[in-house]
Amino acid sequence: MSLAIDRKATAPATALQRRRGHILQQIVEHRADYLYILPAMLVMLIVIAYPIYYTIELSFFKTPPNLQMKDKIFVGFANYATILSSASFRETTLNTLIWTLFSTGFAFVLGLAAALALHREFAGRGLLRAILLIPYVVSAVAASYVWKWLYHSDFGVIGALAVQFGITDKPINFLDNTTSVLPSLIVVNVWKEFSFAMVMLTAGLQTVPEQLLRAARVDGASTWQRFWHVTFPHLKGVSMVTVLLLMVANLNAFIIPWIMTGGGPAGASTIWITDIYTIAFGRQRYGVASAYAVILFIVTMVLGYFYVKALTRGSEGRAE
Amino acid sequence: MEKSHDRAFAAGWPLRRCALAMGLAVSLTTSVAHAQSVDLSKWSTEYIRSIAGTEEVDTAAECSKVVPLDYKGRVSVWWTGPNDASPDISRQVHEQFWAAFKAAYRNIALDYQNIDYNQLIDKLRTATLGNAAPMVVRLQILGSVEFASKGYFMPLKPEDVGYSSADFWPGAMKSVRYQGVSYGIPTNNETMGLIWNADIFNRAGLDPEHPPATWNDVVAYSKQIHDKLGVAGYGLVAKQNAGNTPFRFMPELWAFGGGALDEASDKPTYKKVEIGNDGSKAALQSIYDMYVRDKSAPVSALTNTQDENQNPFIAGRLGMMIAHPAEYAKMVDLASKATGADKAVADQVVRNMRYGLIPKGPVRRAVVFGGSNIHIIKTDYVDGGLDEKAAKALICFWTGPEWSTKLAWVDSNPSNLRGFKTKWMKERLASIKFLDVTTSMLPDGIPFPVIPESTEIMNIIVPDMMQNVLTQKMSVSEAADDAAKKVQGLLDGQ
Repeated sequence: MSLAIDRKATAPATALQRRRGHILQQIVEHRADYLYILPAMLVMLIVIAYPIYYTIELSFFKTPPNLQMKDKIFVGFANYATILSSASFRETTLNTLIWTLFSTGFAFVLGLAAALALHREFAGRGLLRAILLIPYVVSAVAASYVWKWLYHSDFGVIGALAVQFGITDKPINFLDNTTSVLPSLIVVNVWKEFSFAMVMLTAGLQTVPEQLLRAARVDGASTWQRFWHVTFPHLKGVSMVTVLLLMVANLNAFIIPWIMTGGGPAGASTIWITDIYTIAFGRQRYGVASAYAVILFIVTMVLGYFYVKALTRGSEGRAE
Repeated sequence: MEKSHDRAFAAGWPLRRCALAMGLAVSLTTSVAHAQSVDLSKWSTEYIRSIAGTEEVDTAAECSKVVPLDYKGRVSVWWTGPNDASPDISRQVHEQFWAAFKAAYRNIALDYQNIDYNQLIDKLRTATLGNAAPMVVRLQILGSVEFASKGYFMPLKPEDVGYSSADFWPGAMKSVRYQGVSYGIPTNNETMGLIWNADIFNRAGLDPEHPPATWNDVVAYSKQIHDKLGVAGYGLVAKQNAGNTPFRFMPELWAFGGGALDEASDKPTYKKVEIGNDGSKAALQSIYDMYVRDKSAPVSALTNTQDENQNPFIAGRLGMMIAHPAEYAKMVDLASKATGADKAVADQVVRNMRYGLIPKGPVRRAVVFGGSNIHIIKTDYVDGGLDEKAAKALICFWTGPEWSTKLAWVDSNPSNLRGFKTKWMKERLASIKFLDVTTSMLPDGIPFPVIPESTEIMNIIVPDMMQNVLTQKMSVSEAADDAAKKVQGLLDGQ
């Protein structure tokens, strides 16, 4: 019995040693490659690793408005407790979930629809692709201001058109209403980023083997069946990557909600990232904001883990 | 009595404000020690007109006594200057200022950045954290004490640049003092007034030359305008931002007897929380009545700043708003750029623009004693280190009688009281409509609490409280109590 246990314990250890040796050997073999990426690694250490370290450190300190940062007070995990127990955290988290999931979902579906529609050859396809890319290349700041005016509750173009066409009898209140503000912002966000999904999925569509589609057509498969059983399985990898990238981008999306509403009215469009900004720069609670940022960082890293997994799944398969 | 008083202002006639002047004199004689160039006990529009143009000023000569004109150095400065919403004349005056300074101090290299009002404080916070601040910063009055309390500013008083503290308003000097030490010099003093469109008043059945005398009248007038004409009555502003919202709501709160702390009292301690009192709740109720009950304020008030009130006003779609005299210059600018049918409407609005005192409440008439202060940042926090002499030369120029008058041209009042005696003040009085109103509101000015937490109270807690009421997320009472709890938490160091 004990022998069996020992054997079970030594087997993974041996495998680990073998893998370590393998990695070291690879590093030695590819030392020139590592030298090439060294400058980039150093820059990343300075501009990414240090800020992350400093944010984590700061999250354990209190920073009152009348004290300089060097006089900060150590409070342990109190800042984390403050965030997690605050009355507004639940509402802000719900807003963040709604914002992230709906923005990602709609952007993906619209991007997929656009990619499929533009996959077929037809006159003006290139022009249409270019037009659909415009929202993605427009500055988010400029787009936010334009949409703010389109949505304006008193003099907005959309509201005026709705009145003119008899849809409503007074301009629609998009941004100054706690119920409609978040969906209105999500529409802007989806408009802004669906073309990113379109580009990614268009690239993915190039990998779907034409012969398979033809064979399915010969076998009598309907359009939907061809899409579901042939096209979509080939898009799985790129879809996963697209969704994860969109989720990370949306979790960290600051510009649109901040410029259009500043998180208002009454916190109805406040999401984690805008809350962090307000706590840090509006209320000067840099410690609390840092704790909040660490929580966001952890969530983002979890998504990042799945992203890397999705990205490397193919290459691992090939390596084996 | 009150209404005829306001009417006199609206028509631009001279006004006798004996009672206020007496009250002001009493408060000033107790707080100003000596050697004032201007006799504040005589403060009235007639007095201001009588002294304007009586003193010749040579700024370069005065500043040369502080820093020689051939001094070689460099100075960097951040300030909030004219933006797209400012009248052209503001841009011209600022350009003239930089040109005049460069001409006087040819050997001082100048690096100046005009930073948006809503971003300056945040940017300075970040820069000081990274020891990358400019040598000099001109900050809105609300921001001074926060940076002074953190130890970023050098002690600085008017005497350090050749002027006398007695030549600055006591209320303004209060805003630069922290724990008894002065950390800056006021550059300009702002008090706003009530602007209304006489044509809208007329068409709504209101006396076009009578502004609302009380805040309750504002609610009633706003409703009447909206009900009769279908346009917004009062340009309520309730967005969370750096100034616009508290500058327009706090006068109402104080007028009803409320306050954030006890800043409206004669001897404020800044330790007593009053934002949850009956006066504050009455003020909140009045904005609720306008926005929710009567729907007579713009729906967009929750995302609006004052800039967003300008276009509806010039288009004849807004009856009243609280603003600076600069608003008149802005409206003239907008009208000059309008075309076709819009031009006719805009011209008519300009002709019908009236400016009066901010309404009274049951307790008092009040206005925010606003403006800006200029500071020198300690060398440890300055990008490249501090050149103190160059910084003082610039500040001497900026806060002297000439440029504190000129730079305040359409916006506000000179911080240096000698500015009221210059020929430029005389020119302003002759050319700027409604200037009398803002000078006359000065005695009603109440400074924001002089504590480091003031920015959070005014820019976050107060707008949040308003939004909680206006969106009906909370009742008036709940919102005021919630705000009071947050302010108390701040004072308790939470």
